[in-house]
Amino acid sequence: MIYRKAMLLALAWLVVSAGLPASAGSAEEKVNYRLKWRFNTSVVGDVYADAHGYFEKEGIDVTVKPGGPERDAIRELELGYAQFGVASADQVIRALSKGARVRVLAQLFQVNPLQWIYRSAQPPITTLADLKGRVIGITFGGNDETIMKTILAKAGIPEGAVTLFSVRYDFTPFYRGKTDLWPVYRNSQGPILSRKLQAGGEAVSFFNPADFGVNFVANSVVTSEKMMAEQPDQVARFIRALLAAWRDALAPQNAEKALSTLAKYDPETPRDIQGEQLRITRGLVREDDGSVGRIDVAAWEQTEAIMMEQKLISAPVSVADALTLGK
Amino acid sequence: MLFRRIYQFLIIYFLGVLLLLALKVLLNLSNYVIPGPLSIWQVFVREFQRFLLHVLSTLGVAVIGQITSICLALAVGIIGRQATWFGTFVKVAAYNIQAYPIVAIAPIIFILLGDGFASRLLIAAMICYFPLLLSVMGIMSEPIDDIEHFYRVTGRMRWQLEVKIRAFENLQKLATVISGSATLAMAGTIVAEFIAADAGIGYSIRIALYQSDLAKVLVALFLIGITLSIYQGLLEWVGQWVKQRWASA
Repeated sequence: MIYRKAMLLALAWLVVSAGLPASAGSAEEKVNYRLKWRFNTSVVGDVYADAHGYFEKEGIDVTVKPGGPERDAIRELELGYAQFGVASADQVIRALSKGARVRVLAQLFQVNPLQWIYRSAQPPITTLADLKGRVIGITFGGNDETIMKTILAKAGIPEGAVTLFSVRYDFTPFYRGKTDLWPVYRNSQGPILSRKLQAGGEAVSFFNPADFGVNFVANSVVTSEKMMAEQPDQVARFIRALLAAWRDALAPQNAEKALSTLAKYDPETPRDIQGEQLRITRGLVREDDGSVGRIDVAAWEQTEAIMMEQKLISAPVSVADALTLGK
Repeated sequence: MLFRRIYQFLIIYFLGVLLLLALKVLLNLSNYVIPGPLSIWQVFVREFQRFLLHVLSTLGVAVIGQITSICLALAVGIIGRQATWFGTFVKVAAYNIQAYPIVAIAPIIFILLGDGFASRLLIAAMICYFPLLLSVMGIMSEPIDDIEHFYRVTGRMRWQLEVKIRAFENLQKLATVISGSATLAMAGTIVAEFIAADAGIGYSIRIALYQSDLAKVLVALFLIGITLSIYQGLLEWVGQWVKQRWASA
């Protein structure tokens, strides 16, 4: 009886320990880098680093893993499945509000690519008051809902003065003109939609919340506090390699090389579309002096304030304390 | 039977939650990865009423979807049992439609029907009907020779009679299949809501996932499980009642 119990306990321990991830690794160990989204132009710097040996030059063996809606880099950091990852600011702030020990290393997008597309034949949106009376697509529960509700509140527009249309993953309602504005990722979906509508003789414009003072931070590179404490040198080398790759990938003179790299990771998207996506991504990520990765502390604090106002977090998280670069 | 279903579900659910909590403690995970019992309880109290309404909305669609799929499966199964050209044609169509992933067909459904009730219903029925169809075809294709022989030799066999004989002789099997298909109808409705609806518990789960809120997902799963247990228990009870009535008639 005692023998059977001992066997069962040993078996249970084996099952549990087999599922346990490895802890944050040393400099010699392989590390995993979990992206926010699948391989496409939005991750051009990440795949460029992977393809052209930037990590190897810093002595790190990095596996770049594509993300997706079912992936959450911050969870993987805690579970030890990844040592670095890309997460949106709202993910970081939500995680901090629930006690996660996560640190932001670099802010990839200086301008949030989440914007709204609309037909240029419609009256242009030059002030926020121009949104009144429009049918606006939002993904309920998504970042675009948070951003749009902030914009409406900022402009003093009651929700009854616009029609909010529930957005799903296909664009049919926008094509059919059921909505005036539709949320898109400016650098990935934007060129594809523009091309389709232009083929039908329709020009498009984009409504960018940042133009109206709403700076909701998008994707950033994150790691765990544990990694920062135990492997500071590896963290420094990783971020140095990654940002160098992003800089080079977005340099106009490297455009052909970047597009060839993208073609290997994302063979589904036509090259001319990728060229347009790359051009737009450059404008959203790269600063005028060619640098990348600057953490816009004010924008992070605004993002936290927005999430507080929208009751997405119950108490302030002092997000500035989790921002690492430059400290 | 109903109470047994409920408490068995509760055992499974709480064992699952306990496993998650054990992992949380063992790996020292934050509430972001796995919410603590207090967080789950607070979300339960806060969201119970809203989520219950959403689950009932989902159940409503699932029930109609299940009835639709039962009718569809019976119709296709009865036609498909025949070895005629039309019978095999119906079978091929039924099998092919099932082979397409629902996420690939969904945009076409939404273009045709919008993203309201009709789309949820159709997707629920599509996911639910195939296992039913297989069972119905299996049952309807199997002759009950002892009884059917008499009607055949006396020239009194009609297709309606054939269907009745085979249904009656396999009533227990049919009841079990129909009761089991409730799970598929519910899952189908949730999938439809998850893909593209703006109502129902699948839609709530999608929003909870957007917000990385596992506590909400756990509460939603609890309500789905308990509602489904009650519904399946009731179906089994109805199955027993129908059998008794038919046998005594």
